[in-house]
Amino acid sequence: MKKLEEKPFAMIGVNCNNFDAKKLKAAVEKHNLNWRSFADQGAINEKWNSPPTPTYYVLDHKGVIRFKWVGAPGEKALDSALDKLIQEAEKDTKKPK
Amino acid sequence: MTHIGGILVLLLGLPVAARDEPQPAEQYKTLVKEFGVAAQGLWNATTDDERMKAAERVAKSTPQLLELAEKNPNEPFAFDALVQVITQELWLENNTLHPGFGKDSPSVRALAILTRDHIKSDKLSDATRRVQYGFRKECETFLRTVMEKSPHKEVQALACLRLAQFLSARLQRLDILKDKPELAKRYEGIFGKDYLEALQRQDRDKAIEEVEGLFEQAAEKYADVKQPFGGTVGERAKSELYEIRNLSVGKVAPDIDGEDQDGKRFKLSDYRGKVVLLYFWSEF
Repeated sequence: MKKLEEKPFAMIGVNCNNFDAKKLKAAVEKHNLNWRSFADQGAINEKWNSPPTPTYYVLDHKGVIRFKWVGAPGEKALDSALDKLIQEAEKDTKKPK
Repeated sequence: MTHIGGILVLLLGLPVAARDEPQPAEQYKTLVKEFGVAAQGLWNATTDDERMKAAERVAKSTPQLLELAEKNPNEPFAFDALVQVITQELWLENNTLHPGFGKDSPSVRALAILTRDHIKSDKLSDATRRVQYGFRKECETFLRTVMEKSPHKEVQALACLRLAQFLSARLQRLDILKDKPELAKRYEGIFGKDYLEALQRQDRDKAIEEVEGLFEQAAEKYADVKQPFGGTVGERAKSELYEIRNLSVGKVAPDIDGEDQDGKRFKLSDYRGKVVLLYFWSEF
């Protein structure tokens, strides 16, 4: 994931343990997680149909769901999905206005 | 001495011979156990060779189960054995690399017998629960027939819900096959090239419309029917509809507004312009 630092990309977690921010912080530090996560006490899960964990959604730069995996998709599938959408995003921003 | 010995052998011989061939109900139990052992074997397997061995054990016992059910149609276990045939073949399809049974699919035969002999059974939901995870045309036909012909409202309701889930999962699998030529080849081998091509030619939007219609029907007509593992058919159908309409590929992601680990408020939509990997995780 390191190589994506310069790219129009972000990884955002939704924690599904019903933690408040403080408890989430402790978990993030304990497991050395380097991404930003929402602390959820149920509202987000309700809105997203309480997916089993792990579930992965990939949204394009317009906020449209383009990929969805319940369970880990494997590095290859994830990389190729992200590459494809990042290229789309970069192409879109380079367009003359 | 030899004479007496001969009589003894003769007397003992009969019960021994009868014991050699266990009763059909016993054979059924043994075969079900055999599946449990093989499934555990797959779970524990660390090499492809071990995985293949587990698959072969099940591939061997599945036609045996079918034969047992067909030879003993009036035994109480016959119904369960037919469902078990379906369970095992779908297990092979979905968990192993077994190439399928070609034209002699035991599950197709089992579905035909269930339809012919057990369509009025109030236990038929045991079968639809399995069939839901299938892919072939006969699974679809079976679910449609049960929905239409079962005299039991509960059985109809679950068949309706599961038909919608079957059709929805089949569409998702077709999408996955597009990027996985090896898997597509395996599907061709098991389910037939013609069938696969016909599915790929179908109008996707129309197919989704039908899925939505079935979930709507389940939500309205069967709202209060209980599901075997909690909740009602209505609740499940509504949640599936919500998933299709808001959380499927092609839909704008519902916004999220909340706090991060530092207590800072932010929104998912703050990241418009960037590709976002949204990861639902939990600590165990």
